[in-house]
Amino acid sequence: MTVGLEHYLVLAAVLFCIGLYGALTRRNAVVILMCIEIMLNAVNLTLIAFSRYVVPQLLTGQVFAIFVMVVAAAEVAVGVAIILAIYRGLTDIDVNNINLLKW
Amino acid sequence: MNPIIFNLEKLPDWFGVLPEIILLVFAALVIILDLFVSQKKILAAVSLIGIIASGALSLGFWGTELSFFNGLILTDSFAVFFKLLFLGVSFLIVLASEDYVNSFRRLQGEYYALLLLATTGMMLMAGAGDITTVYVSLELTGISLYALTGFLKDRKSTEAALKYLLLGAIASAVLLYGLALIFGITGKTGLGEIARAVQAQLSGSASVSPALFLGLVLLIAGFGFKIASIPFHMWVPDVYEGAPTTVTAFLSVASKAAGFAIIMRVITSVFAAPDWLARDWATVFAVLSVLTMTAANIVAIPQSNIKRMLGYSSIAQAGYLMVGLAALGSSPFPGALAGMSPAQSGVLFFLASYAFTNLGAFTAITIIAQKIGSDEIADYAGMGRRSPLLALALTFCLVSLIGIPPASGFMAKFYIFRAAVQADLLWLVIIAVINSVISAYYYLRVVKVMWLESPPSAEKVPSSALPTVSLAVSCLGVLALGTIPGLIMKLAEMVNQFMP
Amino acid sequence: MTIPYQCIWLIMLLPLAAFIANGLFLRPWVKKQSPAYGYVTIIAIAASAALAIWALLSVMRTEDHVIPVPDVSWAVIEGGVSIHLGIIMDQLSALMAVVVSVISLTVQIYSLGYMAHDEAGYYRYYTFMSLFTFAMLGLSLSDNLLFTFVFWELVGLCSYLLIGFWYHKKSAADAAKKAFIVTRIGDFGFLAGILILYLNTGTFDIARLHELAVTGVLTGTVLMWAAIGLFAGAIGKSAQFPLHVWLPDAMEGPTPVSALIHSATMVCAGVFLVARTMPLFVFSQPAITLVAVIGGFTAIFAATMGLTANDIKRVLAYSTISQIGYMMLGLGSVGMTLAGEITSGALHAGTEELLIITKGAVAIGMFHLFTHAFFKALLFMGAGSVSHATGTFDMRLMGGLRRAMPWTYATFLIGSLSLAGIWPLAGFWSKDEILAGAFRAQPVLFALALITVFLTAFYMFRAIFMTFHGAYRGGAHEAGHEHGHLHESPWIMVAPLVFLAVMAVIAGWWNLNGDFNRFFAHEAEAQGFVSFFTVFAHRVDGMPLAPVSLIVAILGIFSAYAVYIRRWVTAETLGKVFRPLYLLFVNKYYFDRLYEDIIVRQLLMRGLFRAFAWFDRNGVDGAVDAVAETVIEGGQTLRRIQTGQLQLYGLFIGIGVVIIAICVIFFG
Repeated sequence: MTVGLEHYLVLAAVLFCIGLYGALTRRNAVVILMCIEIMLNAVNLTLIAFSRYVVPQLLTGQVFAIFVMVVAAAEVAVGVAIILAIYRGLTDIDVNNINLLKW
Repeated sequence: MNPIIFNLEKLPDWFGVLPEIILLVFAALVIILDLFVSQKKILAAVSLIGIIASGALSLGFWGTELSFFNGLILTDSFAVFFKLLFLGVSFLIVLASEDYVNSFRRLQGEYYALLLLATTGMMLMAGAGDITTVYVSLELTGISLYALTGFLKDRKSTEAALKYLLLGAIASAVLLYGLALIFGITGKTGLGEIARAVQAQLSGSASVSPALFLGLVLLIAGFGFKIASIPFHMWVPDVYEGAPTTVTAFLSVASKAAGFAIIMRVITSVFAAPDWLARDWATVFAVLSVLTMTAANIVAIPQSNIKRMLGYSSIAQAGYLMVGLAALGSSPFPGALAGMSPAQSGVLFFLASYAFTNLGAFTAITIIAQKIGSDEIADYAGMGRRSPLLALALTFCLVSLIGIPPASGFMAKFYIFRAAVQADLLWLVIIAVINSVISAYYYLRVVKVMWLESPPSAEKVPSSALPTVSLAVSCLGVLALGTIPGLIMKLAEMVNQFMP
Repeated sequence: MTIPYQCIWLIMLLPLAAFIANGLFLRPWVKKQSPAYGYVTIIAIAASAALAIWALLSVMRTEDHVIPVPDVSWAVIEGGVSIHLGIIMDQLSALMAVVVSVISLTVQIYSLGYMAHDEAGYYRYYTFMSLFTFAMLGLSLSDNLLFTFVFWELVGLCSYLLIGFWYHKKSAADAAKKAFIVTRIGDFGFLAGILILYLNTGTFDIARLHELAVTGVLTGTVLMWAAIGLFAGAIGKSAQFPLHVWLPDAMEGPTPVSALIHSATMVCAGVFLVARTMPLFVFSQPAITLVAVIGGFTAIFAATMGLTANDIKRVLAYSTISQIGYMMLGLGSVGMTLAGEITSGALHAGTEELLIITKGAVAIGMFHLFTHAFFKALLFMGAGSVSHATGTFDMRLMGGLRRAMPWTYATFLIGSLSLAGIWPLAGFWSKDEILAGAFRAQPVLFALALITVFLTAFYMFRAIFMTFHGAYRGGAHEAGHEHGHLHESPWIMVAPLVFLAVMAVIAGWWNLNGDFNRFFAHEAEAQGFVSFFTVFAHRVDGMPLAPVSLIVAILGIFSAYAVYIRRWVTAETLGKVFRPLYLLFVNKYYFDRLYEDIIVRQLLMRGLFRAFAWFDRNGVDGAVDAVAETVIEGGQTLRRIQTGQLQLYGLFIGIGVVIIAICVIFFG
């Protein structure tokens, strides 16, 4: 059996769902960030697979994936900084306890 | 349907992003200056100069139809309209921040720099001609705003920043997945190319492929987060309450306008044909709009914190704006999307009106909060006697949010509702009008507290020069748009020529 | 040179600028009592008066007596309603603009002296006055009924504010309220008229409506009810029977206000409105007949009440009502004649010509409006000058003022002679025209008008004899006010009086040889007019009108002389002999009683309102409360979803995706 476009897409979809599930269920803010990274990487996989199979003569998907990685890195940097700030005040990064703002 | 995009070889590519480059340079300059100058007001002045310079350059692109970097960046009138809107908003925000930044003690340079960066991101969003630009500019705006939200560094502020960041990241991952699917189906990244490919694929067929369907759904969800449509709105009240007031103002105005700009770039233009596809997303916007208006207005009623209340109010306003998007998609005139559509000019007018109105309201709140140190509506008692002009300005802005003439909110709603009626969406307009009536309840409650209840102390509420100027400009804008709407409507109609 | 159209805009915008300058920019820096407010207003209105006169001269010089003015679009909505703010500059609006701005200018100058001692200060007064002038000019110049209505309401508001200027006095506050409510009844008709017109024609534009009426598109009952609706507005604003009750009470306002608003300009707005929409009336015979009848009846009806009033301003107020009745009669009678000719087919004219003739039919009524404005403003300001000296308006407390106040006396006398219609003063010429018009149209109306001439002369000279002749009876008795020393008013008050007195003499000469009529009606009906002296030899349908009316007027003056100076018959004796009539006049025909006691108190308050209150408490309130409570409860419940839990929010994003998908699948 040959590995085709659909295999990559299914894998990416599964990864995306795992990431989303993790982001919605894990309590640790850092782990949530990591789950979001999984989602983004699932998308990267989709992009590259599409690029390879739909427009093999171009590199648009790959370049897009690089953009996504750069942006994700920046996002994580800011995210970790904010989590750190929370930890300083609360000595805790369980998102269940971060609920001062509500209603 | 197919406007000619000139590729003038004489213009170098960097020329197309000159306004954004200027803003970036000034952002860097502000950070560097922050290290040397002790008089922090200079930073505000430098930022203002940058904004003006960038605005002047943007204005130069009015009426042109140029594209740069092989179509990554477009500089048409649509883009210029929004760029000027964003620059105008950040100009007024910088003015209004004069006193407020003192509560940050350190890092004032970063505050202004981040504001400029967020503005840059929004400007790129307005001029995006490619899905890569869409994503990168969206994230540039987003990340700057996450940092700004946490700027106060107290518990509420950091909590708001964390919520905004995590939810924003999830939403943008969802959006990105949608973009990837669209790319996969069409094999293109340019918005114009995608539009043509979609049209070619769908011509003759009566339904979308599952992948395109999923892509479109995810796109709407991702942008729905940006414009705070229910049910993607949950971050809004928390973030608005926790963020520094000036940042809240910026979020509620510029960020939302940017969301609508990008929706009009990506969804309403690219998926405009065939007609049944346009009606599909129009239905989505109609349903979301009903949910958004109704739920937001009802939940706004019991709020006691004015920032939170205005958060729900801004969600409701997004609901009215989506009435315009629904009208845009279900317009009965063939080719209405190609330009000269009353729905699109209505949305643009509403955004301009809403920008002035909400900025005015938030500036007034910022000034008042400086003095009384509270955002609770109950603490606004007797504001009419303590500071009549301030209370009057706030009242005027709230009246505009309800949509009562002569304030601009009336004309804005009028234009949008009228377009919706023309598009056979009378039922939607009726729901929207009922919602406007409900909304009067919580807006007027603030007015009542300010004017009819007795103040806890007779102390005046002082306001410094620059925030007052900002407030006055906003109120004049509201009045001008409300009394001479013909002028700005003409501009909005000129913008209509846009197509990718 | 012809006036550029931008300057025509300035005519109405300058007073608005003065209003804004006074209200917004001057107030924070200048104290309330400063005359600076007055100067700003006076300068703006003087400029506007100069421009108005220029505009009038330009209109007279142009061929078709219209200067085109480009519209300003107020709201552009493609393919739908487009609302334009436009102005007309033709004979009618030019004349009205001149009257309003010139009278306003003299009143503002006079007020500098009159209001000098007022604690409330110049600020409020001049701010309102400039707003009023703006609104009144806007009303005169507007080219569509919608904006006419807006300005109409605005002058009503100014009138309300200025009647109640001394709002701490209960009588003033009550009078303001009364004026507002009573005119509102008429405005209801006005609005209904506008709506009838709009729904049937789709336009507010006055010129367009004229065309539709003349070409016969707009006709029958629609036109009749629309015209009657407009006339209802005119009845309210111009204090015609049966809505006349507010004007005498409105005299509670400062006297210059009465001079400007309640005699010369605003109350004439009703006449102006009818004149502006004259073609609509001419093509509806019932409506134009109603105008003539109401006008003729009001003229004599108000004059009788003027006979017994003791307050000098009230005498003038009744006189104003009566004179406006005259103007209505002038419009109505000419219109009736014309309408008769059209229906009987005696008039053969093309559409274009017909339009000019019908619009020109307003000449006689407008001419009386023009002359009346000068002498009535003069009389009011004279009365103000008198009270400035005596501290009262009650004529029973005056007397013998002619020696102490020679200027006031002389100008007041000229005004009264003019009003009574004595040759060769202004009132004579304009009143003569109306009598002639009535004579041609309907002999009964003519008889009413002729009796009114006698009554007018009588009550005006009764006022003069009671005020200026005989011995001084001591002025106001209020504590702390010493008015023992009588004095002439300061020059700033006398100068406007003199100017107006000159105008009260010469204003009527405009129509010598029919110049004024020719201006309005082009060449169409400019025959049979007279020069300065030949007027007495002129006969209308075989009747020497001018000598007759002059004799009647002199008879009126002589009767007043007989009763109040010579006392051959005393007023008391007359009162006893004609007791029933006397009581009727003194009690103002019991109209106040009818309106206030019977209609308002018994019928409305006891009956209707009580029923409403019951329904409101038990029906409406209950329902509204229930809905409001449901909404508030809903809010309380829904907000609980916002738990502050980050991941719940994230879950909602997922739910949202599902909602969108469902939308597309099931509804799309």
